[in-house]
Amino acid sequence: MKFNPVYVGLEAEEYDRTYKDKTLLRRIFTYFSPYKRYMLIVVIFLTISSLTTSFIPFITSAAINNIESSKNVTYLVFLIVLIFTFNILSFVFNYYRQINSAKAIANVVLDLRGDATKSILDHDLSFFDRNPIGKIVSRINTDSRDFGQTVELLIEVISSLVIMIIIIILLTIINAVLTLYMLLAIPLFFIVALSYRKYARKMTLLGQRALASVNSFVKESFSGIQIAKTFRQEEKLYSQFNEVNIQSYKVNLKRAFILNAIFPSLGIVQGIITTILVYLGGNFLIFNTINVGEFNMFLQSLNLLFFPLLTIASFWPQFQSGLSSSERIFAIIDTPPAVIQSDNIVPSKLKGEIEFQNLTFNYDENIKVFDNFNLKIKPGESLAIVGHTGAGKSSLANLLARFYEFQKGDILIDGISIKKYNLKEYRKQIGIIPQVPFLFADTVENNINYGCSSTTCEDVISALDKAGGSEWVDSLPNGLNTLVGERGSLLSMGQRQLVAFARVLLEDPSILILDEATASVDPFTETRIQDALEKTIEGRTSIVIAHRLWTVRHVDRIIVLDKGKIIEEGNHTELMKRKGYYAELYNTYFRHQSLKYIEEMGKI
Amino acid sequence: MTKKSNSNLETQIVEFSTGIDYFEKARKKGARRWLLAHIFFGSNKYFIFIVLFTTVIASILASISSVIIGNAVEQFLNANINSLIFFTVIILILGLLTPLFRLINYMQRELLAQRLERDSRKEFYANLLGKSQSFHDKQKIGELMARATDDVRMLNFLMSPAISLILESFTSLIIPVIFILLLYPLQLIFEPTIFTVLFLINLRSYNRKLSPITGRLRMNFGMINSTLNETLSGIEVVKGSTKEEYEFEKYEAIAKDYRDAFIEQGKVQAKYYPILFLAIAVTIGFTHSLILFSQGVMSIGQIISYIALLGLLQFPTFISIFVFAIIKLAGSSAKRLLELMNKTSEIDENLKGITQILQGSIQFDNVSFKYPGTDNMVLKNISFEIKPGQTVAIVGTTGSGKTTLTKLMSRLYDVSEGRILVDNIDIRDYALKSLRAQIAYIEQDVFLFSFSVFDNIAFGRVSSLDEVKEAAIQAQADDFISNLPKGYASKIGERGVQLSGGERQRIAIARAFLSNPRIVILDDSTSAIDSNTEDKIQQAIKNVLANRTTFLITHRLSQIRWSDIIIVLKNGEIVAKGNHWDLIKESEEYRKIFVKKFDIDEEKLLRGEI
Repeated sequence: MKFNPVYVGLEAEEYDRTYKDKTLLRRIFTYFSPYKRYMLIVVIFLTISSLTTSFIPFITSAAINNIESSKNVTYLVFLIVLIFTFNILSFVFNYYRQINSAKAIANVVLDLRGDATKSILDHDLSFFDRNPIGKIVSRINTDSRDFGQTVELLIEVISSLVIMIIIIILLTIINAVLTLYMLLAIPLFFIVALSYRKYARKMTLLGQRALASVNSFVKESFSGIQIAKTFRQEEKLYSQFNEVNIQSYKVNLKRAFILNAIFPSLGIVQGIITTILVYLGGNFLIFNTINVGEFNMFLQSLNLLFFPLLTIASFWPQFQSGLSSSERIFAIIDTPPAVIQSDNIVPSKLKGEIEFQNLTFNYDENIKVFDNFNLKIKPGESLAIVGHTGAGKSSLANLLARFYEFQKGDILIDGISIKKYNLKEYRKQIGIIPQVPFLFADTVENNINYGCSSTTCEDVISALDKAGGSEWVDSLPNGLNTLVGERGSLLSMGQRQLVAFARVLLEDPSILILDEATASVDPFTETRIQDALEKTIEGRTSIVIAHRLWTVRHVDRIIVLDKGKIIEEGNHTELMKRKGYYAELYNTYFRHQSLKYIEEMGKI
Repeated sequence: MTKKSNSNLETQIVEFSTGIDYFEKARKKGARRWLLAHIFFGSNKYFIFIVLFTTVIASILASISSVIIGNAVEQFLNANINSLIFFTVIILILGLLTPLFRLINYMQRELLAQRLERDSRKEFYANLLGKSQSFHDKQKIGELMARATDDVRMLNFLMSPAISLILESFTSLIIPVIFILLLYPLQLIFEPTIFTVLFLINLRSYNRKLSPITGRLRMNFGMINSTLNETLSGIEVVKGSTKEEYEFEKYEAIAKDYRDAFIEQGKVQAKYYPILFLAIAVTIGFTHSLILFSQGVMSIGQIISYIALLGLLQFPTFISIFVFAIIKLAGSSAKRLLELMNKTSEIDENLKGITQILQGSIQFDNVSFKYPGTDNMVLKNISFEIKPGQTVAIVGTTGSGKTTLTKLMSRLYDVSEGRILVDNIDIRDYALKSLRAQIAYIEQDVFLFSFSVFDNIAFGRVSSLDEVKEAAIQAQADDFISNLPKGYASKIGERGVQLSGGERQRIAIARAFLSNPRIVILDDSTSAIDSNTEDKIQQAIKNVLANRTTFLITHRLSQIRWSDIIIVLKNGEIVAKGNHWDLIKESEEYRKIFVKKFDIDEEKLLRGEI
């Protein structure tokens, strides 16, 4: 017994099941079938060890009888040897059973995780918008682990069941009446165990909540400690902490009391039934209806059945919880990707001609982003997209990267529908720099040459040089080999952008999609980024969601989006002259970046 | 001059205390002493006694039951009908008493366990609250939280179930054996004693084998989580660079490690021999008792009782499979908590130092600095002078030392070389509290507590709504605050009270206004926002800078351009110093910023024409 079946899964999230039990079980079965051999050993050895375990008390009682009545020494010796043998057999078979079940379960869990991860990686971005990453990771890793635990419990339950059935059968053969009284224990056990579990779960959730309150208070205190100290607020924080802490103590104490009452309660059931057995059995013993060994058997029976009963009683809710875990994983594996290609064309070096033809795109059922949208972009052209939030700027870029599926119309790349290309080959020719560059917890160098397979990589340094200069890397503790931390947190925002530029330049894409960062960057790095931008859009079709004044002033064309429609088009000077929508946008987003604004600041 | 504290045993300098710290001495004596101090603290003593007492009683009752059963069998064999009622009643009483004592036992141990958790959390919290800012600067929130949540929780599990189960195992081993000793021929002691010895030896080696594997499994689980987390967080990059296959293989490899560790663990757990040892010991004991019976030394009833008593040894055998793991984990947790709590701060508060209203002239005199425990000089030979009311903008790339410089200003750390003077007096000669009270720090990522807006601005000062409102008006924050559902009474984080970065910044500025400092440190490296808010923020910043000596860390050219002094830091050194036009003339890099950004002709710029 590796864990207490009563307490397992009390904290599990509520989850509404949609798959039927039968379908799930069949599915689970298919995952176990590659490991048939292990499972067969588990089943057989389980049965044998359960048999040997259950027989031992009966052999013991036979020996006691023998010593009391017939005193047949040979028979006695035989019985003792049998007990020894059964003990050893029981241990050995159990040993191999545990190893094989560990092998089977570990491999099934691995397969589940692998299938789920593979499926996840194929999904388009809309999936990740709908499902927070934390939940996905939890399903793949934690739910699979919980599922494994449930299978382990299932095996224990089967073992318990076998033991229980054998013992009950043998006891019935000895004396049906006593067995009947003893069986009273079973429904009582179940009632106690299950009703406690219900109440225990409620208290556990309350306790969790109280604990969460304390913890979040502590977190807040530590996060704002500088302010607290600066304004000398430690006293106030401490007294508030004390309140929440004591509250959690009270709630969790109550919870603990409830949880701990279960074993004594079951003990009382055991005590009462034992008393009945003593009275009746004693009667039978006095009147020779049963013999000594049998009497002893009955008295010991509740001890033998205690843990098996407990395991079985807790089984059903735990089993349901385990099925829920497996269902969550299957849900991930079964969700089809939304972006499906209709053909597999491998493009040669793209020229970078883009055409949106009557494009209709709904993000979610309710949000219509584009309706009959049209736009042509020439190869090598640099295009800036501006507009308020929700105008469709990011969607345009995302559709081009084939991160989302559109409903009607088409996007032609070099005259061929984007749906017809081999997705991976197509994406190799697209360079994407997102608004918040993502870096892996790896070295600067590995982050830059991430997209390159080792045979086609240029010098990382030269990519950096193209991306505004590489000297800044020299000031890092280990130069190119410096580890950048989780998400690149050890580098500044600006430096992360430079890495993102270098990464894209190394891939030398035909089409560049750049979502400019809104985060501010120090003026020196900003100058570098400008250089990088300048070099990057040279000679490539570039679509830039612009936030920099410099960008809109230097691109070939600007399109102004509003609610999915192009309402103005042209270059910066033309659009400003018109004093229309663009001019208003300028006022809101770009004015403060102008030299005029900076100079005027001095006069305020 | 600052004291250098270099050992754990020196008196900690505490910036806040809650009165008597009962555990101070125990903390310094190691994890074991500290845990014991908690377990025996105050009224806990009585609970521990009750736990011990009830554990012993429960074991005694269980042993008595075993003996009574044997006696009953004897009497029934002798067809003694009168004894039937007697034994039935006894068994019933024992059957009800034993669970009762167990219940009391569990309740007491839970009481102890929850108290241990509550009190150690309180101690940890108060202790950390009292540590200096320089201590907190070095901590990662995630780490602190792991201590305050997981490790504190672990101490709960230490008491319940670990320690109580061990106590129970102990009594379950000893008391039946005592009964056997007292009631039956001496030689029958042989089997349980040998078993106990083998059990303890094997238990030790079992735990030694199991513990590294369990640790490995835990670590692996952490890794599959963090790896998958990273891959999915960067899914755009993964897809954009078509590295789905690569990321999958990365995950598979670690998941395979997990599988292998899991199987390893299963192998070790399967080899738990004490179960076999006990079974064999009981069998041998049984045989032994049968032999004694045939010699007329024991009766049937006694055999039955003997076996039943041996059966009580099952409990420690099964419990030990997992209970020691908990002890080990709890020990590690206690050590980690103590490690943090015993850390000393390094700043001398200088309670008797100078307290006076500052004018606000600042001088850095050849200041160099490296963080304690490191070799790298983060700031080198920094010298500059500011007159009261002036604004100095500090610019440079990340890691150039900007933030460090401002930390030295408010004495979060002390300089390694050189000195910092305020109003011509070394800042170390001031009383720390007085100094800090006159310096306002407006941080980069403004942290607001989940109190009301009013409380976040007033934060500790007894202020009227008018005073707070006035500060908010100056900080250009009154408009948006008044538009919140409950105005100034709105709680941060509540529905409808989601504030943007710029709004949070203005609240922080309002807070600074209210405290009316002489020196302001404003770290303004937040996101650039739209021009509408930009106007407001610029105004707010202008207002707060007026007549105050200000350190400004900013990316905004509009602020840099008009600062009285601009200091350019590179790798911890000043590479340029002066006002905007000084720098245009002297620093090529500074000039390049304007040339590139605004497409200005360099020659014209140098001549002073924009």
